[in-house]
Amino acid sequence: MARIEFKDVSKTYPDGTRAIVDLNLVVEDGELLCLLGPSGCGKSSTIRVLAGLETFSDGMILADNNRIDHLPPQARDCAMIFENYALYPHLTAFENIAMPLRARRLPAAEIKARVTKIARILRMEHLMGRRPSRLSGGEKQRVGIGRALVREPAMFLMDEPLGHLEAYLRVELRAEIRKLQERLGITTIYVTHDQEEAAAIADRIVVMSAGRLQQVGSFLDLFDRPVNRFVAEFVGEPPMVFLPVERTNADSIAVKGVRIPLSEPLRAALRTTQDRELILGIRPNDFSLGPPVRDHLNGTVTLVQPQGDHAIVAVSTPAGPATAIVPSDRRPAPGATVGLTFAGERLHLFDSAARALNKGEGDG
Amino acid sequence: MTVGLVRNKDLKAGVRRSAAAWPIGTLRYLVAAIFTGFCLFPFYVIVTTALKTETAIFAWPPVWNFKPTLQSFYNALFVFGGRSAISYLINSVIISAVSTFLAVVLGAMAAYGFARFSFAGKRHLAFWILSTRFAPPVAFIVPIYLMVQKAGMLDSHIALILIYTAMNLSLVIWILRGFFSEIPIEIEEAALVDGYSRLQIFWRVALPLVRPGIVSTAILSAIFSWNEFLYAMVLTQSKAATLPVYLAGFSNSMGLAWGEYMAVGTMAVLPILVFTFALQKHLVRGLTFGAVK
Repeated sequence: MARIEFKDVSKTYPDGTRAIVDLNLVVEDGELLCLLGPSGCGKSSTIRVLAGLETFSDGMILADNNRIDHLPPQARDCAMIFENYALYPHLTAFENIAMPLRARRLPAAEIKARVTKIARILRMEHLMGRRPSRLSGGEKQRVGIGRALVREPAMFLMDEPLGHLEAYLRVELRAEIRKLQERLGITTIYVTHDQEEAAAIADRIVVMSAGRLQQVGSFLDLFDRPVNRFVAEFVGEPPMVFLPVERTNADSIAVKGVRIPLSEPLRAALRTTQDRELILGIRPNDFSLGPPVRDHLNGTVTLVQPQGDHAIVAVSTPAGPATAIVPSDRRPAPGATVGLTFAGERLHLFDSAARALNKGEGDG
Repeated sequence: MTVGLVRNKDLKAGVRRSAAAWPIGTLRYLVAAIFTGFCLFPFYVIVTTALKTETAIFAWPPVWNFKPTLQSFYNALFVFGGRSAISYLINSVIISAVSTFLAVVLGAMAAYGFARFSFAGKRHLAFWILSTRFAPPVAFIVPIYLMVQKAGMLDSHIALILIYTAMNLSLVIWILRGFFSEIPIEIEEAALVDGYSRLQIFWRVALPLVRPGIVSTAILSAIFSWNEFLYAMVLTQSKAATLPVYLAGFSNSMGLAWGEYMAVGTMAVLPILVFTFALQKHLVRGLTFGAVK
């Protein structure tokens, strides 16, 4: 129930570390936005600054066009879910969920009714009398979610809420979080380093690295049209393969003397730059492996990891290591020599500053 | 052949090890028992002497098997002296209880500040607080006597309460600071976003979580205030005098009335013993366990 806006927000620690650098970001009302990035990229700092748990050096934060960055945390009306649950150990699950309501001095009868309702939604009525030490990890985080939900805040801030849970619980709880968030329509910022989790629940994803916002978009935007090498490498599993490129012409390139067929938009993008140190990016599932062909890109299979219906194949090529995903029944044997082919319209090109040449264009 | 030899060796070593372990384990208990007996023997003497008749006290060889009597307690409480031991006991209870309460409440707030906020000169301030314990208390006795005298507070409860509170504060602050630092910060951050102010978090979240620390510092403070002799002796006459003062005066004015002397001694130990045992069950560690991963 709030549209949140970061305007030129920067945070520099006293030791000079830049946690957030000139962040400009709008989180739309009712949206679930994921902050995705490796640890130390500034994603947690971003929501801690928004919650008022940390100060920042520069810029401003607005909620529905009102500045909130001068308010103390208790006045910002955000509910937070912590990676390590952060429940009150001396209180029962019921009292833990009731704490935000008690802070607002609601009548006892209403507190009871609201906590009971949340407990029913989260299917944990039978746990209400227990203290946190007698709850499992998944149950603890359910209480944490309940505590955030109970007061229907202006925004939800979730800091890797499922990070400590087992894989099957993560999948179950993230679906539950998404369902509740959609039902309540509350603006949510969700921090994770798990791209699969981000892809599963986010309306939009923000990729951050070294305190800087790299790209905002849906998971497919990030996957198909990464704006730079960092996003290209971070999003997608296994990561994109990068091969150094020689420029043979204004609009043609080669990898170790092998000419690479390019799509028309990529050739057009190539003509706009004089840069000679280009990097070619190829998604592992855009490769096909076949018998080696003279004057093509060939390599030796170094490792085959069967994954069920497909296999991840590591290939050593003269241009560098490559990874390909192939159907299980067509996987090569380790040590075999294979030829690598790929479709020209699914390629990515990066200049010497690691920017994508074909950014923002439909190239596939 | 080799295998057999190795096995044989192992067997021998095993036998030797268990044979060696037996006397060491027993010896350890024996030493502990002797030391415990050594520590408790004075208490045994105090309590038994208080319960003996005068003839039994001076009998040689000592009477181990005697019929206990409460005559000495009766004499100490109702017969000897102008003022009975009870008024000293009440003084001790008032002064110890109030100074302990003040030291723990004020100390907990200061300790929370040290644990959770950063401010200029924090380390120096913390060290200065600890340094108030460096000098022997007797070094301050003259200036403090003069201060108390000028303030017109000689022989008053308030003077001893203030002095004992000040002396206990440094201990309380340093112990509780560690307890507060151990609370995972996320719990307090959760309370902040849940809508609580810092002061509310102190009372409703932090304080309940350091209960073992509160209990142990309360016990230590109470024991100190209860047993303190030097300042009580110098700053009080009769109105606010505590039990240790009474005990010291006892042996002089009454000659050596051993039975009554020991009866008062027993009564002086009992309240603090009861207090400690009553609080002991709250000294459980690990209350924060399970709050965060």
